[in-house]
Amino acid sequence: MFRPFADWLSGTRISVALQNAEWVIPTSQSIHIVSVSILFASAVMVNLRLLGVGIRGRSVSQLTSNVLPWMWGALAALIFTGTVQTIAEPVRQFVAPVFWAKMIMIVVVALLTVTFSKAVQRHAQQWDRADTRPRAAKAFAIGSTLLWMAIITCGRFIGYTYSFYL
Amino acid sequence: MSLESIATYVQSLPFSAAMRGETSGTAWLFPIVETCHIFMLAIVFGSIAMMDLRLLGVASKNTSITRLASETLPWTWTAWVAAAITGSMMYAAKAVVYTENFQVRMKFLCMGLAGINMLVFHFGAYRSVSAWDASPSPPSAARVAGGLSLSLWIAVIFFGRWIGFTT
Repeated sequence: MFRPFADWLSGTRISVALQNAEWVIPTSQSIHIVSVSILFASAVMVNLRLLGVGIRGRSVSQLTSNVLPWMWGALAALIFTGTVQTIAEPVRQFVAPVFWAKMIMIVVVALLTVTFSKAVQRHAQQWDRADTRPRAAKAFAIGSTLLWMAIITCGRFIGYTYSFYL
Repeated sequence: MSLESIATYVQSLPFSAAMRGETSGTAWLFPIVETCHIFMLAIVFGSIAMMDLRLLGVASKNTSITRLASETLPWTWTAWVAAAITGSMMYAAKAVVYTENFQVRMKFLCMGLAGINMLVFHFGAYRSVSAWDASPSPPSAARVAGGLSLSLWIAVIFFGRWIGFTT
């Protein structure tokens, strides 16, 4: 269903221009990796803090307020570079089921993160103490870490699996 | 024993053949190892970037530098070891080509320079950290170290990604 759209997109002037500039895709992918590193490392740090493993220097609310702006900034850079890569190689992305799995999981984890960060901002004292922290905190920590790992895995596997669906 | 003969030997090992997917059941070994490498490099770069941005005075300004270091460094080092292991596994697959590759050499050069930068900072400006531990804007020597570290590690990621396009 997306194949006609992908075929049309790959013939547009902007897509052709991106395909012909050899440096675009490697550069975009490199920025994509730098950005996902900032996002993933921040998420893992917050989640380890929520689980009470390893990270103890800062309270949950302090750590969250430190890293959250960087996480959203990194997500913006990821969406931009991801869009560039999709315009340059639309067929490769749209035919791969792992691409769509990745997109769905990004929406889910982004919504979870918004919900989490709002809860921490509103009830900082409750979240900072391990004994008053909502039970959902640990579920969020484990769930969002697994989602980010699955998103990264799906992203890497687009390149290894798309040719099966051509 | 030359670098080339070592690379030829490593590439001839059964393990290297498995990393190339030549043995039965190993078709997905390289992509899986590569994905683990991405998890680990993300933790390495992300945790180093947190520290560097703090030294530059642009992030985590309300957290003291020593506290941030004790929080992040154990994870940085653990993930670095895991990234080195997964990286070596991938290297074995095409050791001869990688040894001759310009991007591979630049990647190692940048990691070496990042290591030297870290040592210079650790045994230089960092010795007086107690005087500026909580300061939101550290002295210029610390900011230079943070900026250099961040630039070099970004270069490591760029050269690393380019290896896949040039081999």
